[in-house]
Amino acid sequence: MEPGTTLCLVGPNGAGKTTLLKLVATLLRPSSGDGHVMGHSLKRDPDAVRMLTGLLTVRGFLYDDLSAAENLHFTMRMAGLKPDRGVIAGVLERIGLDEVADNRMRTFSTGMRKRLALGQLLVRPIQVALLDEPYSGLDSQGMRLVDEVVSEFKEVGTTVLLASHQDGAAVREAEKTGILRRGHLEILPESEPLSRHLSVGGPAGAPEMD
Amino acid sequence: MSVFHRAWAIVWKDLLIEARTKQSFNAMVFFAALVLFIFSFALGPDTELLQRVAGGLLWVGIAFTGLLSLSRTYQNEETSGGLEGLRAYPGDPRAIYLGKLLGNIVMLLLVEAVLFPAAGILFQANLWPYAGGLIAVAVLGTIGFSLVGTFYSALTVNLRAREVMLPLLLFPALVPVLLGAVNATTLILQGNLMGEAVMWLRVLGAFDIIFFVICIWIFPIALEE
Repeated sequence: MEPGTTLCLVGPNGAGKTTLLKLVATLLRPSSGDGHVMGHSLKRDPDAVRMLTGLLTVRGFLYDDLSAAENLHFTMRMAGLKPDRGVIAGVLERIGLDEVADNRMRTFSTGMRKRLALGQLLVRPIQVALLDEPYSGLDSQGMRLVDEVVSEFKEVGTTVLLASHQDGAAVREAEKTGILRRGHLEILPESEPLSRHLSVGGPAGAPEMD
Repeated sequence: MSVFHRAWAIVWKDLLIEARTKQSFNAMVFFAALVLFIFSFALGPDTELLQRVAGGLLWVGIAFTGLLSLSRTYQNEETSGGLEGLRAYPGDPRAIYLGKLLGNIVMLLLVEAVLFPAAGILFQANLWPYAGGLIAVAVLGTIGFSLVGTFYSALTVNLRAREVMLPLLLFPALVPVLLGAVNATTLILQGNLMGEAVMWLRVLGAFDIIFFVICIWIFPIALEE
């Protein structure tokens, strides 16, 4: 993939979309073969790959009994960065959680958790964003936020690998779309309509945020 | 940022969560007090007998209580995607082990700070003259217990029968630590501060160093597998 481009992964449940993202994030070790992220081998140099990649999972890597700000603070420390209150406040404002920055995450709705998980990708510099079902659990504003963040990633040259069942601007505007079938990735021709491979409606059908 | 900075971030996060929820500490203190109370009740008012077996009883309490702490070591991570959440960050994975290890040591030492005085009262033993020796054996024994326990709790965290597997794997590996700790505690309580007790403390220290080297060396491999 060229830097700053997006590959959207589609495919039925169990096709291996999450597995592929976890392989690229080096959370799983390839049983055979290898892959490279910016020239770094997934097998031989996983730490360099982790430095470059950020993974957004369906649940997010978040702690219920830490506040939103503390979760981002922990993310920065674990990523080897010096926690910066200004950066954390800026990201919380960007994801619309600035007013609940000091609330424990266990009080958050699914959508708010998803926003915070997205915020974890924004507090540290990454070259490759791995987004697993980024729209799930989000209202229309949250879905727009995902689209904006993906757009910003592309502007700064961050490559995006996105697995989604739901339609959204980031999915439609992806430079490439790949369908995973039984572990094999096939890049779809531009003429093939993407909607055939998406199971859930787009932002128009999503509920508005309270 | 170094391994120690990332380890410290994990300690900070775990202790902050524990300070807010008090899930582990309350359960551990209650359980340890219950074990000591049952033993003192079962053995009756024979002060001499109680003082003779106090070292063993104390470490039975610490071992079972420590098991509670160990089984919760990675429980906090479950809401955040399990160990994957920590593994997704760059840096040496040994930071995860060190962070969890330090957290376990702090938790167990806090419980022991309650447990030892409680044992003194229940077993009618004046522990104050032996405080230095008891602190030394508690620290060395707790480090040894936590070194092995933190390693095995990482190995068993994804097993369905982890509550069964953890003690099955852990207690055989803990025999040298428990043997040293029980012997040292008993000898210290008998007033043997300079003789055999020191030898057992050295043995405990040696086990701690050996376990530290082995666990820190193979933890990344165990985590990958």
